[in-house]
Amino acid sequence: MNRKNRNLLIGGVIVALILGVLSPFIASTNPDGLESSAEHLNPNAMQNPGYWHAPFENYKIPFLGNSPLAGIVALVIGILLALGLAYILTEILKRRGNTEN
Amino acid sequence: MHIPDGFIPLWQCLIYWIIAIIFLIMAFRWGRKNLNEKNIPLMAVLAAGIFAIMTINIPIPFGSSGHMVGAAMVAIIFMSPWAAVMIIALVLIVEGLVFGDGGITTMGANLINMGVCGGFVGYYTWKAIYKPYKGSDGVVAGSGILSKWWSIGVASWLAIFLSAILAALELGWAGTFPLGLGLLFMGGYHAMIGIFEAIITVIVISSLEKIRPDLLSWNKLKRAEADNPNSDNPEVPSK
Repeated sequence: MNRKNRNLLIGGVIVALILGVLSPFIASTNPDGLESSAEHLNPNAMQNPGYWHAPFENYKIPFLGNSPLAGIVALVIGILLALGLAYILTEILKRRGNTEN
Repeated sequence: MHIPDGFIPLWQCLIYWIIAIIFLIMAFRWGRKNLNEKNIPLMAVLAAGIFAIMTINIPIPFGSSGHMVGAAMVAIIFMSPWAAVMIIALVLIVEGLVFGDGGITTMGANLINMGVCGGFVGYYTWKAIYKPYKGSDGVVAGSGILSKWWSIGVASWLAIFLSAILAALELGWAGTFPLGLGLLFMGGYHAMIGIFEAIITVIVISSLEKIRPDLLSWNKLKRAEADNPNSDNPEVPSK
């Protein structure tokens, strides 16, 4: 990877991490557009059938309680997961493309 | 706009999953042909950035809130809706499996709404109203009805709005929302959320244009034949 692309990667991750750290403090706790619609049109639909129990439900690390740190750590994990998965998937696709060519 | 589990009957979820997987396979095909050393870091950074910004809900009138999706942004940057399908799929998987944001059974529907509809509507709306071409002087311009930034703003607003309309249609078919009121509420809320999407999309792409114009695919357009600004079929190199 050349210097320009490394800088892009580092700069982009820093911006994403800043957004992640700020998110628990600045994000609105109002229901989102879909939840607001459901509250008006069919509140019963909001009951989770429990098909899947996510480890960090509601973007919080359970053992860190309700502190902002619980949200920040969860978001940092999510950002790094999204980054890593995207990098691995695109690298695999690129290599497969090179092999086909 | 993430539809949770339980909002859509399982048999309908299966249909959406099958459609979503077909689009995902097409997106992977696009990736095999078009991903290279240069755009892989950008894809990774966009996935991380979109995940982060999706967690920042901003308040909108009537006690609601909304967040950016970013499908139109990715599709316009890469001049391909398939890039958006791929990135949004990855973000939805992380959000759904790790954080419980959006259902597992409804992940196919969510990918169709946010990734497929968002990406395709965003990209083709922008292309239709901006009509990008590269002149013989090498400068990229548009021959459409709106300027570059207005066309990006309108396209990303429409991407969110129509994604919400599609979600309302799915929820109407599922019997979860009454169709008419579902369209009204979902359309109304997301028409407001779309303004936020439009502003952020323009800010991100204009920043990229200043910092790394080489990463924007429109700067790789082939020159229009005979410098014809009315050409509506600008070719994009496959690599």
